[in-house]
Amino acid sequence: MNYRFDWSVLWKGQSGEWLWLGLITTLGLSALAWLLAVLLGILSGALRTVPFRPLRALATAYVEFFRNVPLLVWMFFWYFGVPPFLPQGLQDWLFDHGLEFWAGVTALGVYSGARFSEVLRSGIQSIPRTQFEASVASGLSTFQAYRYVILPVALRLIIPPATNESLNLLKNSSVALTISVAELTFQTRQIETYTAKAIEALTAGTVIYLVLCVSLASVMGWVERRVAIPGLIAGGRRPRRGRG
Amino acid sequence: MKKLIALTLALALVIGGVAPALAETTLEKIARTETLTIGTRTGSPPFAYVNAKNEWVGFSIDLVEQLVLPAISQKIGKPIKLEKKESTPPTRIPLLTSNAVDLIAGTMTDTRARRDSVDFSITFFVTGAQFLVKKGSPIKGIKNIDGKRIAAQQGSTNARIIREKAPKAQLREFPDQPAAFQALLQGQVDAYTNDGIQLVGLKLKAPNPAQWEVVGDFYSYEPYGMAMRRNEADFRNLVNNGLMDGIESGKYFEIYDKWFGPKGELPYPMTAAVRQFMIYQVVPK
Repeated sequence: MNYRFDWSVLWKGQSGEWLWLGLITTLGLSALAWLLAVLLGILSGALRTVPFRPLRALATAYVEFFRNVPLLVWMFFWYFGVPPFLPQGLQDWLFDHGLEFWAGVTALGVYSGARFSEVLRSGIQSIPRTQFEASVASGLSTFQAYRYVILPVALRLIIPPATNESLNLLKNSSVALTISVAELTFQTRQIETYTAKAIEALTAGTVIYLVLCVSLASVMGWVERRVAIPGLIAGGRRPRRGRG
Repeated sequence: MKKLIALTLALALVIGGVAPALAETTLEKIARTETLTIGTRTGSPPFAYVNAKNEWVGFSIDLVEQLVLPAISQKIGKPIKLEKKESTPPTRIPLLTSNAVDLIAGTMTDTRARRDSVDFSITFFVTGAQFLVKKGSPIKGIKNIDGKRIAAQQGSTNARIIREKAPKAQLREFPDQPAAFQALLQGQVDAYTNDGIQLVGLKLKAPNPAQWEVVGDFYSYEPYGMAMRRNEADFRNLVNNGLMDGIESGKYFEIYDKWFGPKGELPYPMTAAVRQFMIYQVVPK
């Protein structure tokens, strides 16, 4: 391959500024989508296990519908499909205030929420049924049993797979470039356009994603150790007392 | 241990088998595979697109098929097949450098920055950037797009010029033309900028063509060329000779008329200046 590497394109000109802007957009998009996904995930994950059929059906419908349609389609749906149904004034306002960003957040959040939901459900279902029964027997309502007994344990159990989903979400945010969100992958392509140096630009993007993901994974690992209940979970690394 | 040795030997064989393939020139590759692989577009009528009969056709493809391919076949002495692959502005240079395609024949503008990475054929089409807007839009050209939402194709020279010459415009870049055009149709953006010729083509494809107009003077010069890997003079000369023979014999102008003539897919008559420019590109035999 007669390709001539020129790494200086990454710091000459505006490349640094572009990568920075892309990084900020990727982080903002992912953080907001993550909040939405976690909220939806906890809600629908819990509802999928409650002893009340209509709520279970509703949550199942949400999960199956949103996780089984490709993310790209959801991006187009929220960006192109939804606005025509809004009132004209709201449409114009949205078009002028970064509709593509909010469409991206919604698409990514709702899609990932369906995936988070399944992670939480597996956590809840790994808790012995007797705990729920004991909670109810001691006078808690179903909501209270979930709020004070089931969810606090389930959320701790699912930290490793939820980390996985969070990393997926972060990387999936690059799909938003199809609806013109100028995130990190978009900016690496931008550098490629200006410099015609694709491999250098892609490498820069790859390294940034890698650093982001590894940092996120270690933060989640820290959280996992920090919130672990001593003696509850067998195996692996034992939480250090006092320090976390 | 025996297994390990066998494995190492197998690996060495594989690498040995692959290594010469990496070093071969484009012409050798074409001779070996009897195929010329081009990277082209599926959604850029009339240069390269999939038509209503589901055929992958266009002006750029015709130029390759009728002018470049015969020149290569003659040189190699065997009939060469043409294989088409989809390439978009962000992918076309990587496709070339990774040997996935041998020639980009679509709507690629020849620029000095790109010449650092790829070589270009002679210019086969000339256009410039304009704006596609809804009829009656206040946008009349690049001078009054401040604050307006302008869609452009990501990776295009147009987006770059807008960013430099009209930094106050809200630029929205889309990876492909259909998405950008859809955004214009629905009002997500106020204008879509691209090479004038492509905008005329899009306007004709709109549900109600009379509602749209192409406005503004050319704010860029866009000479389209065919791109290939650098420093392959033999291959580049063949491509250029094919194009030059076509211009000399008039075949090029016939193909131009087929697509851009009064009865063509997209009427865009060639100006006298462009015709003269094409003829002057042909160097003597």
